[in-house]
Amino acid sequence: MTSEEAPGPRDIAVVAFAQTDHRRSTAESSEVEMLMPVLHDVLDRTGLRTSDIGFTCSGSSDYLAGRAFSFTLALDGVGAWPPISESHVEMDGAWALYEAWTKLLTGDADTALVYSYGKCSPGSVRDVLTRQLDPYYVAPLWPDAIALAALQAQALIDAGHTDEPALAAVAARSRSDAAANPHAQLAGRVPQGDYVVRPLRTGDCPPVGDGAAAVILAAGERARRLCERPAWIRGIDHRIEAHGLGVRDLTDSPSTRLAAERAGAFERPVDTAELHAPFSAQEVVLRRALRLDDTVRVNPSGGALAANPVMAAGLVRIGEAAARIHRGASDRALAHATSGPCLQQNLVAVLEGDPR
Amino acid sequence: MPDVLSAPLVVEFPFTRSLGPVQSAFLTGLRERVLLGVRTNDGRTLVPPVEYDPVTAEEIRDLVEVAPTGTVTTWAWNHAPRRGQPLDTPFAWVLVRLDGADTALLHALDAPGPDAVHTGMRVRVRWAAERSGAITDIACFEPYDGEAARPTGHSGAFADAVSGVVVPARLDYTYSPGRAQSDYIRALAERRTVGERCPSCRKVYVPPRGACPTCGVATAEHVEVGPRGTVTTFCIVNIKAKNLDIEVPYVYAHIALDGADLALHARIGGIPYDQVRMGLRVEPVWTEGTRHPDHYRPTGEPDAAYDTYKELL
Ligand SMILES: [Zn+2]
Repeated sequence: MTSEEAPGPRDIAVVAFAQTDHRRSTAESSEVEMLMPVLHDVLDRTGLRTSDIGFTCSGSSDYLAGRAFSFTLALDGVGAWPPISESHVEMDGAWALYEAWTKLLTGDADTALVYSYGKCSPGSVRDVLTRQLDPYYVAPLWPDAIALAALQAQALIDAGHTDEPALAAVAARSRSDAAANPHAQLAGRVPQGDYVVRPLRTGDCPPVGDGAAAVILAAGERARRLCERPAWIRGIDHRIEAHGLGVRDLTDSPSTRLAAERAGAFERPVDTAELHAPFSAQEVVLRRALRLDDTVRVNPSGGALAANPVMAAGLVRIGEAAARIHRGASDRALAHATSGPCLQQNLVAVLEGDPR
Repeated sequence: MPDVLSAPLVVEFPFTRSLGPVQSAFLTGLRERVLLGVRTNDGRTLVPPVEYDPVTAEEIRDLVEVAPTGTVTTWAWNHAPRRGQPLDTPFAWVLVRLDGADTALLHALDAPGPDAVHTGMRVRVRWAAERSGAITDIACFEPYDGEAARPTGHSGAFADAVSGVVVPARLDYTYSPGRAQSDYIRALAERRTVGERCPSCRKVYVPPRGACPTCGVATAEHVEVGPRGTVTTFCIVNIKAKNLDIEVPYVYAHIALDGADLALHARIGGIPYDQVRMGLRVEPVWTEGTRHPDHYRPTGEPDAAYDTYKELL
């Protein structure tokens, strides 16, 4: 191929989004029984059937429910026979979306189904997440997810970036906004409660729950046919920091800033930001890293403090940002997803709607 | 909501991991009550030490001893210790920058209460009585108001360095199998095998998982299948499984129960292992106190014709 013939990058958009109601327990459903209605919902929104989808990518973790190869069973809900072009990441679905976006960029597919699910209710997610830590120096101490987030919160307080009343305000605003989100697990007036691991109180921590989400991506004209106002992905990037907690500056998120830069987030202001901040103090870190001022509507969905189905909560951020563009409530939105302890790894996507 | 079946599920596993030269020196050092860091090419000392520079990814091997005293860089008060954590009384999680180090180590601080802890406070290592070359050789940190301890000038070379760690892990769950599998298990308790039919392609799945993998739609219509079935394919097991009281060799087979469109698998008994064949007709054998057939045995019927089960292979 000569350079004259080289095509420019394809425009790829989120054209549909669906999610479950997120709940403390879905013991009456298996993973696939919980997920399937969401897959049907997202396909119905575009009129596509499984056989129309060029690439399918999912994100989940077997450790959450303690069920080996649950992601292969979940594929039953897609209708994966005869075999489809499919992939899975043992990560939040936001990273599955990244893989699908890459696949569409290559031109190998024009449409992609991305889904993820998390069933936190069978186990203790606080303890389950210790198994992702450094197995030599950290995991043997069993520092749970809330303890690590609390170390980060204290570092922020010591640095003068926040205090307990400011954290309580983040929590209250999130749950108050979530009152308008029918899928949220925790909404309305929620007491800050007692310390779980000081300085974090119950209110600073996400609810533990189960849920699933799905997104459909489409390229170019296909996207315009499937959606009245596609949410075009203008840029998307993800970056990771050192795994040693004591090597990092926990009050900052250089990986978020770099991902945002690469995704083009700083080229023009966004009107909306859906941030994946499971703990109140992490919103403080992200707002600073992303230079979000008071003109930006942050987490109108209520964010992860209102519903945190682990492995799906990041994809939900992208879906919520896209849905606001679909319905004309936003023109340019930033969506963020995180993975690992204390915002170790971060993904930033910038979405835009066509001018109105 | 219908009655939901649930059962305790324990996932327990020892992670056995080998160590690189830097990790080995650090953990062996803990056993010998020596604290080692590693020097990066730009002159910083990382504790705990790693094999590769976290910024440049360069291989780093230059070991340097640091002191067992240090400064808290951040902390969090844990009033309710959890299983496996360093102390079973309330303690502070701390990141500690040891004297001589540029980075901080995560551990526990034994302190009387949150009012006794602050960022910047001085602490020292409390060694575990028994040490094996693991991060838990540091029992915890404790408050300390003396001088910074001096390193002994250790080279980081040890006679009998540890080469690996075994890290036990245990996670406890309360597992629920969901709607379709709960129905299946309830029927088994009555010694019936009940599958579910796909509303779209009409296939009957046993055991049912709640969705048709071909059509991607929910299954719901119960269909009792069997009890008899046909061996579609099999293998001969020659290695005795741990904790399994079955003599080898024995036959493990795929069995298409009459009326089912998916074969399930089970052991075949009541026939010498070398006489089991494709098409053999079998029926379940239930034993007292079990919740599923112990095995399947020949019915004595003529073998099924290949055409009757070839689609189920
Ligand atoms: Zn079907």
